[in-house]
Amino acid sequence: MTTMTTSRRRWRNTAVGLSFLLPNLIGFLILTLIPVGLLFYYAFTEWNVFGGATWTGLDNFRQMAADTTFWTALRNTLYYAAFHIPLTLGVSLGLALLLNRKLRGVAFFRTVAFFPYITSIVAIAQIWNMLFSPGFGPINELLRWIGVDSPPGWTTSADWSMPAVIIVGTWRDMGYYMLLFLAGLQTIPGQLYEAATVDGASAWQRFRAVTLPGLRPTTFFITVLLTIGSFKVFDLILVMTNGGPGQSTLVLAQYIFRKGFEENQFGYASAVSIVLFAICLVVTVIQFVVNKRRRS
Amino acid sequence: MKRSLAAVTALLLGITGCSSGGDAEESGPVTLTLAGWSLATTPEFKTLADGFKTSHPDIVVELKEYDAANYDTQMIADLAAGKAPDVYVQKNLKNFFTYQDGKQLVDVSDVAAKLGPKVGGVSAYQVDGKTWAIPYRADSWVLYYNKALFDKAGVKHPDGSWTWAEYATAAKELTTKLKAAGDKALGTYQHTWQSTDQGFALAQSAGASLESGDYGFLKPYYETSLDLQNAGAQVSLGDATTNSLTYQAQFGKQSAAMMVMGTWYIATLLNQQAKGDADAFEWGIAPAPQLTKTTTGTSATPVTFADPTGLGINPKISDKKIAAAKEFLAYAAGADAAKALAGIGVTPADNSSVADTIFSLKGAPSDDLSKFTFATHDTKPENPVSKYTAPLQNILKDLHTEVLSGTTPIDAAITKAQDRAKNEVLNK
Repeated sequence: MTTMTTSRRRWRNTAVGLSFLLPNLIGFLILTLIPVGLLFYYAFTEWNVFGGATWTGLDNFRQMAADTTFWTALRNTLYYAAFHIPLTLGVSLGLALLLNRKLRGVAFFRTVAFFPYITSIVAIAQIWNMLFSPGFGPINELLRWIGVDSPPGWTTSADWSMPAVIIVGTWRDMGYYMLLFLAGLQTIPGQLYEAATVDGASAWQRFRAVTLPGLRPTTFFITVLLTIGSFKVFDLILVMTNGGPGQSTLVLAQYIFRKGFEENQFGYASAVSIVLFAICLVVTVIQFVVNKRRRS
Repeated sequence: MKRSLAAVTALLLGITGCSSGGDAEESGPVTLTLAGWSLATTPEFKTLADGFKTSHPDIVVELKEYDAANYDTQMIADLAAGKAPDVYVQKNLKNFFTYQDGKQLVDVSDVAAKLGPKVGGVSAYQVDGKTWAIPYRADSWVLYYNKALFDKAGVKHPDGSWTWAEYATAAKELTTKLKAAGDKALGTYQHTWQSTDQGFALAQSAGASLESGDYGFLKPYYETSLDLQNAGAQVSLGDATTNSLTYQAQFGKQSAAMMVMGTWYIATLLNQQAKGDADAFEWGIAPAPQLTKTTTGTSATPVTFADPTGLGINPKISDKKIAAAKEFLAYAAGADAAKALAGIGVTPADNSSVADTIFSLKGAPSDDLSKFTFATHDTKPENPVSKYTAPLQNILKDLHTEVLSGTTPIDAAITKAQDRAKNEVLNK
């Protein structure tokens, strides 16, 4: 009798729990899981969205191997990720360390640092574009004022457009990751710092021996999030440079958008999506393996 | 398998897309849904719906709003999901192929057959001898000029005889003389769109074709644009894009003395001047500059470009609705709708008798050259339609930003675009 009641109660608790999850689960199923599943099918087809898709086997992948624009987009994506990930990690950790102190108005500064993350990406891109404007932009005005004769063209120069986008991407993301680092810093016991101070450790030694090891789980988590986010970068670049000038900032996510929604080649776009997915997966798995080895 | 997958996809697209429409009843009055965009600022759809109602009281036309910037993406999603309006606009001709090839348009050859030769742009919607959409608007690109700024600079007004070289000389002269007169306005403004250079190049160069994969014909046009940028006679592409300049403000707020733009801007400029969103000044239109002297002067027909804007019928609707929709298309392309559209400053597809209507609107110019410009032109399509159009235009968009930003010299950029066109599109 007691067993029955316990199992019934357990089932009822599970049902109640599931009922809370259900709206989210249904949304996830319809808007994420099924489309992602379909993506794997469409990657092997030629499909213009109307009517049925035609199975073409590996044709899309063969085409991709010879597609110079695909390789340009891949190179640009790797370029963005290679600089955006370490830069954002460094800046957000620095900010977190700075704002983890008991300063006057620290809450205000934390809010200021977090603000770009919740601001509309279109507004961010427009404002930064105006700041970067080669002719009238305040950044170049300042550079000229301090004696730089020919300041960069920023988003209008093929050499500087990607650095400009990386700077804005880092500025936009730093507040969010700073918050995660702050949360990580709060979990490091204060006694460790006290003990290190008693042992005569300098600030740098305390940072290396206490802070960094204490932040390892947080750093790992942030690195994984940043990696996936960097490989998927889309909206910022779309609004800031639209992939240009030329193809200098064309990234994989935008290439997928172009092929699918502008050129109506949804099969090919799906195949490129799968490559992007595979890259994210491989890099993340490598990060997990490395992290596991370090921990063990 | 394929059908069920398509159904699931259509369901997903339907969930994310907006919807209404569908067939309600087979008897009694017919209600047609018509797609439009920015309804608050684009009165042409309501004008057509209201005008049609007076002659067809049994057919109601309801408007369904789409986002102007994402019109085709949303429309494709709605069509795939079976939720699209009964009649929808071919907003961008380069996407017409997608709809036609995807079997999303009813054959309206019978409507086209009844139209007179005055309706321009019908051929743009013809594939394999059949017509798939009917144009109601047919713009063309012209040269707008600010008479007050020309007078201030002491430069002679355009007379319709200009080649691009003469236009560039005038733009530079205007810039210098306006500066001397204490005015910051530049000689001209060419908007950031690739069509500003490529549309004219394609229309005015003999034998030019996008699908030839040979883009040497673009060179003189980009040379002129770069020359104007380097001389400071127009804003550079970089400054225009980074500062999100709008062409309406550049000309309407008198930051430029000239501007090449489509005739749709006539309605906007009149409207903005009436509301105070644009400065009040006297302006006029002249034929677009030409590549050679052979097509200049009021005794010749200037060559220019622009795509028509057509109406197509969703094939998923009932026969009764298709019949009603065909009547609506015939009305929209006809003389009555032309007058109604001209009354709000829109250039109708049948523009043979509406010049007087447009030029009698308050604030419109009244000079002979403006009237000649509006009525006389050989308008070539900006986007001759094929399955290659959209991918080729993307390659040419990259070329455009590459050249005008100074990233790559013209010849090298053209060679690169040609290689990409062959490898990525034409030889696939």
